[in-house]
Amino acid sequence: MKTHWTIAYKESAQMLRSQRGLLWVLAFSGLLSAFSLLLVSNTELSLLDNAQVVYMMSGTVLASGALLAAILGSDAYAGEKERGTLVPLLCAPVSVNALLTGKALGMLTAWGVMFAVATPYLWAVGASGQNLGAALFYLALFGTPVVLGFGYLAMAVSARTGSVLASLLSTVTLLMLAASPLLIGPGLRGTAIGRALDAVNPFAGALNTLDSVIIDSEPFSAQFARLLLVVVWLGLCLLAARRSAAHPNFQ
Amino acid sequence: MISIENLHLTIEGKEILKGIDLHLQPGDIYGLLGPNGAGKSTTIFALLGLRAHGSGRISVLGRDPGEHAAAIRSSVGVMPENAGFYEWMTALAYLRWYGRLYGETQSQRDLLPLLEKVGLGTQGHRPIGTYSRGMKQRLSVARALMPHPSLLILDEPTNGLDPKGRREIHDLLLEFAAERNAGVLLCTHLLDDVDRLCNRIGIIDRGRTRLEGRLGDLLAEQETDKRYRLHLEAEPDTANLPAGISLLAHEGDWWRVQIQFEIPGGPSTLWGELWRRGWRILEIRSEASSLEELYLTITAPGHSHVQEAAI
Repeated sequence: MKTHWTIAYKESAQMLRSQRGLLWVLAFSGLLSAFSLLLVSNTELSLLDNAQVVYMMSGTVLASGALLAAILGSDAYAGEKERGTLVPLLCAPVSVNALLTGKALGMLTAWGVMFAVATPYLWAVGASGQNLGAALFYLALFGTPVVLGFGYLAMAVSARTGSVLASLLSTVTLLMLAASPLLIGPGLRGTAIGRALDAVNPFAGALNTLDSVIIDSEPFSAQFARLLLVVVWLGLCLLAARRSAAHPNFQ
Repeated sequence: MISIENLHLTIEGKEILKGIDLHLQPGDIYGLLGPNGAGKSTTIFALLGLRAHGSGRISVLGRDPGEHAAAIRSSVGVMPENAGFYEWMTALAYLRWYGRLYGETQSQRDLLPLLEKVGLGTQGHRPIGTYSRGMKQRLSVARALMPHPSLLILDEPTNGLDPKGRREIHDLLLEFAAERNAGVLLCTHLLDDVDRLCNRIGIIDRGRTRLEGRLGDLLAEQETDKRYRLHLEAEPDTANLPAGISLLAHEGDWWRVQIQFEIPGGPSTLWGELWRRGWRILEIRSEASSLEELYLTITAPGHSHVQEAAI
């Protein structure tokens, strides 16, 4: 077995078997349940249309995935260092790439579980609409690089600082900044600053695509620029992670 | 197996290693000694390619760790100090998982003999989180031995072990070095471990090798007098002492004496001579081992920093 699969097996097993993983799934299910209930009530009162509800649910799933990636990425090096398990890993013949890839595959497993948990909720709130399939497809296509990007970014900070707290604080702050388009509203997003932020913000890129395909039913060809943005984001975060992981803070 | 010449290493602008020399041949058990912060662990990490060295030359198993770190790590078993485990795994599952990182495909059943060797044969199916510190220490040794290494690097391997456990680990290391003609690099503060196991030592202090060579040669070169405490049945005749011994003090039944380094026949001849002169010796205690004296001398503040290599 290739070493990255060996690392990924441990990461996934640790997440799926641990109380921490179970608690996360329960909390995520609780969040989606409450949100679904609220949105379905609004739909029945005709305050929100069906597509708007699916879009909001998809955005929530994406934000939760990015948050989980930030947590797992922060733990990837610094958490292992604090538990004393990083040095044995580094002393084994495991390359920088294999370690990063194994950790990233572990995050993908967690994202996959979240996606699987979210699917019935999306179906529950969006089954009567026409864009549920598109929502699931674009959530996977754009959500995966965004989530992985935040995971790699957290790993970069985690390997560099050797501190879970420092890594978590900086990555979650950046995530909140990236998610600010959700908070600042369409008026401010229409300004020059809002448009500039949207143009470089991978999180906004993914949300705008979800908006475009779910609410406006635009085709795939209209999403290329945003797809490029999230792929570039993923590439930059991967480079940062490789650079930090080549000389991790382990002592 | 290991050859380090004048290694210098800087971390975040601070020079941590300022001239390390270390030479380990197959079959050697090498004791790397030094106070806390002397640079022992950093030297180990440089050997494994985890720290890029500034200047000097390192060769491990004939390779440069800067260029062939993965190849070196695949042939070296390492027991880092205070290293942890995934506590939710059982010991057998952990060893099996860790072995895969080295390309080993042993089953849990194949790994049982290894756990038996370190005294954990009946504990392999328990989660590591339920282990005591000593058991984790034994498991650390098993982890280092698991990839069948040709070189073993152990950082404080007997910390937290009871005397029986220490003896078992000693025997295991002696067997390992003898059977496989492998090398063992042992970092420890426990001079007893070095006395019992090592044929070569290196003493490093403040990032420099102060002394390196064969333990027997270094002790022979030391030429310092030895101090003992003798428990006597009755007050002895101190007026007529044999040559080579001098009396320092006495507290109750215990008498402190100093013996010159080069006594013909060694201290045992002297004890016999004292007995013939009426010294009824019940017990003899060495105040400090020769190695301890050597170590304290070399690492004492103000000691000459000139390396006294006796390779």
